[in-house]
Amino acid sequence: MTQIYSSRRSENAWSLALRRLWRDPVGRFSLGVVMCYLVLVGMVLAGWLGARWNDPVAVNYAPPTWCASVANRVTLPAGEAWDRSSVIPLYGWTDPLEPLWSEARAAAQRIQPEPVSYRLTLLFGADKWGRDVGQKVLKGTQTSVWVGLVAAFVATFIGTVLGALAGYYGRWVDDLLNGFYGVLTSIPYLLLVFAVAAVFQQKGVGTLILILGLTGWTGVFRLVRAEYLKHRTREYVLAAGALGASHGRRVWVHILPNVSHVILVQFSQNLVGFIKSEVILSFLGFGVPVSSVSWGSMLNEAQNELILGKWWQLGVTTVAMAIFVTALSLLTDALRDALDPRLNS
Amino acid sequence: MKVRRAWVLWLALWMFPLQAQEKVLHVAFSASETGFDPVQTSDLNTAAVEQQLFESLLTYDYLARPAKLVPRLAAALPSVSGQGRIWTFTLKKGVYFAPDPVFQGRKREVTATDVVYTLMRFMDPKNRSPYKFLLEGKIEGLDERADRARVTGHFDYDTPVAGLTVLDPWHVRVHLKTTDYDFGHAMAQPIMGIVAREVIEAYAGDTASHPVGTGPYRLGQWLRSARIELIRNPNYRSEVWHFSPGKDPENQRLVAQMEGKTLPQIDRIDIQIIEEAQSAWLSFGKGELDILGLPAQFSPLALSGDQLRPEWVRRGIHLDRIVEPAIAYYFINQQDPLLGGMTPARIALRRAIFLAMNDGEMMRVIDKGQAIRTAYPIPPGVAGADAQYQSLLNYDPELANQLLDAYGYRRDRTGYRLQPDGKPLEVQYTTGLSSQDRELDEVMKKSLDRIGLRFSSNKLKFPDIIRAERQCQVQFRLSAWIADYPDGDNFMQLWYGPHTHENNASCYQDPEWDRLYEQTLVLPDSPRRDALYHRLARRLELYGVTKVSTSALRNVLSQPWVLGYRAHPILPSVWNYLDVEERHDATP
Repeated sequence: MTQIYSSRRSENAWSLALRRLWRDPVGRFSLGVVMCYLVLVGMVLAGWLGARWNDPVAVNYAPPTWCASVANRVTLPAGEAWDRSSVIPLYGWTDPLEPLWSEARAAAQRIQPEPVSYRLTLLFGADKWGRDVGQKVLKGTQTSVWVGLVAAFVATFIGTVLGALAGYYGRWVDDLLNGFYGVLTSIPYLLLVFAVAAVFQQKGVGTLILILGLTGWTGVFRLVRAEYLKHRTREYVLAAGALGASHGRRVWVHILPNVSHVILVQFSQNLVGFIKSEVILSFLGFGVPVSSVSWGSMLNEAQNELILGKWWQLGVTTVAMAIFVTALSLLTDALRDALDPRLNS
Repeated sequence: MKVRRAWVLWLALWMFPLQAQEKVLHVAFSASETGFDPVQTSDLNTAAVEQQLFESLLTYDYLARPAKLVPRLAAALPSVSGQGRIWTFTLKKGVYFAPDPVFQGRKREVTATDVVYTLMRFMDPKNRSPYKFLLEGKIEGLDERADRARVTGHFDYDTPVAGLTVLDPWHVRVHLKTTDYDFGHAMAQPIMGIVAREVIEAYAGDTASHPVGTGPYRLGQWLRSARIELIRNPNYRSEVWHFSPGKDPENQRLVAQMEGKTLPQIDRIDIQIIEEAQSAWLSFGKGELDILGLPAQFSPLALSGDQLRPEWVRRGIHLDRIVEPAIAYYFINQQDPLLGGMTPARIALRRAIFLAMNDGEMMRVIDKGQAIRTAYPIPPGVAGADAQYQSLLNYDPELANQLLDAYGYRRDRTGYRLQPDGKPLEVQYTTGLSSQDRELDEVMKKSLDRIGLRFSSNKLKFPDIIRAERQCQVQFRLSAWIADYPDGDNFMQLWYGPHTHENNASCYQDPEWDRLYEQTLVLPDSPRRDALYHRLARRLELYGVTKVSTSALRNVLSQPWVLGYRAHPILPSVWNYLDVEERHDATP
């Protein structure tokens, strides 16, 4: 009796699912890749990697090292040569900034700018300002994945709360939220995103997250609502009610854990979708501001470079993005397989 | 004329192999048109269409350089007397407007009354013309008429104005208030195209979609912001291609191709709006485009140095290269609460910002070498230009930093500067939404980072930028101005106080500057006027109003089957002077 009880405890649905996921080689592999990316993102966020993405370290469009014949540095004088001691005629005016202007000129004249040395090649090449594409892609990965993650959290949260309310309470709450859902989904997705982007005016990573989060919750809503519709009449919920559990407790404590696998799968699906949406938005100029860099903004820059034969920024970005998005999609599939109760046996 | 800087895709023409004998020219614009009422036009693309739909009294010779005034609707150049105050125009006889239902099937001839009506329209407050400045304060009695209209709400077109006299149906005399030798240039603008009063009144409220002029073409099918079709005007008088080639061998080739042909040779012009330069570029490469204003970002592919690459030469493609009579200039809004004002600290801040702008990098990376440094507000090829002028505000971040330190712009813990009173400081730069604008943002951020100023960007569509500028809402921008006419005044008026809310986007209002500027108005192009212009230019720099940066180079490529094409510095379109022969491919 005791033994049976304890073995039941170990049959916890989550550990079962995890075990199933781990048994699946595709699931294991994609989980590994996604984890690597997340670690990278963490390191960039902490400032250990990619912090110097904005520094010009090479000449404009320095090619990748392995496909260039030259591999050394070039030293360029800092700034354009220009003689500050030359007299500029004022054509009869007096300078409103004198004498501070002359003093500043004299002070600037004393500064000897140091010549800077630039690299002629880089492992992943350089962009038009001579910034390292390798550093940029690290920073871009961080931005894109971060935006996707946070936006997926926002969307999943909104979708879950509204879906739970609609599914559990039914009647006018359901009608109202369903109507809202209907209106929102009747608008083509990208058009809706642009409309929200136009309303926000402000450009920035925070805005991007809000745009994606506020438009992307509908899928979660639909599925969570259906689950709650199903669960609210189940015996365990009725039993909880008979024992005096409040509606709130029944919704969030009793039912939520039993539908959480649906939410998790939706979350990872949203993550893939949002990363792609971020790329599209940035590509179209609605995305991250110039003080930041993301996969989308890099692809946007690359469109003109490609025609000039500078393919490396496009190449590196595409590879980085393709690996992550593919791994994440495979992981989502594997997760769904592992979490679907119908596939248990 | 407002232009999108440097990457204005000038005009891209291509033709399709056609079954009939009809000659068609396919043209592309990089930005949308606004609407074809000349009085309300202020952008280059719309003016390019109006140049073909309407005719002004004068125009510029197609081949003469520098640009030279020649008659268009006038029979000859005007006779000027009274020290440049009395201008008498003689009209060509037998010039008819294009057919329109308003004329009820009759042929409507152009007379001197139409000229007077056209000029009056610019001063009608209802029309809110952006080019009012061409006439404002110039013609006897016209401003008083406008003032009265502002009170009564109705502009009186019926009573004659003292300054505009109809001598007979083919002679009109204009009396100016003061000496003005540039009035001929004003009369050569495409927006000064002559309109018929009954047409304007019949289509009141929607004149922009019913252009009826005397030009070689009239408006066919029009899908707003997508496609504009121009078809040959059946009432167009017989004009013949006849221009003097001078010594230029290139012009002699043109004359050999075109001399004596009746105008226009091409039956239909089909204009599409293509905003993405890359599409146009690829089409040209495939041979679908006839003429392409080479976007700067693609110049490394077509040019080596200032020569066409051999693979393009082999295909028989032709390069036409001119310095645009245009300037790209930075301006700061003088009424801005953060950057404006005349206290020394603010002046120092503005001058520091201008000092941080790296013109060399701009030309190298953004313009891909297709621009030259111009420090003077009047660009090469325009009367009054000075290539030797030395800027007070050459790129010098060290000096900018010293200056900001001296005026108490301390740095906070993040390394960015604060206002002298310790409040936060951020420079807001306005650009458009294209990928090119993002590159500009990047240059600007780099430049401002060098002197420790925080950068933010304000992204607007081009028409919204213009609107914001007119409302003095733009803090800081790199703007561009291309000559309407080849005279320095067209550039200097950009900072004239009373032009605030029109073309003075820096909203600079300085009585001292305005007084000097007004003195230049009565002077012809002369050393005396140049001396005044130099004082004006220097004052703009001393007070941190503006920094003139570059003049773009215009590279136009044309396919071997295009005849008669020559890039013109002033005329917004020259389609009426072109011909196309049957298309042949030079490449195997």
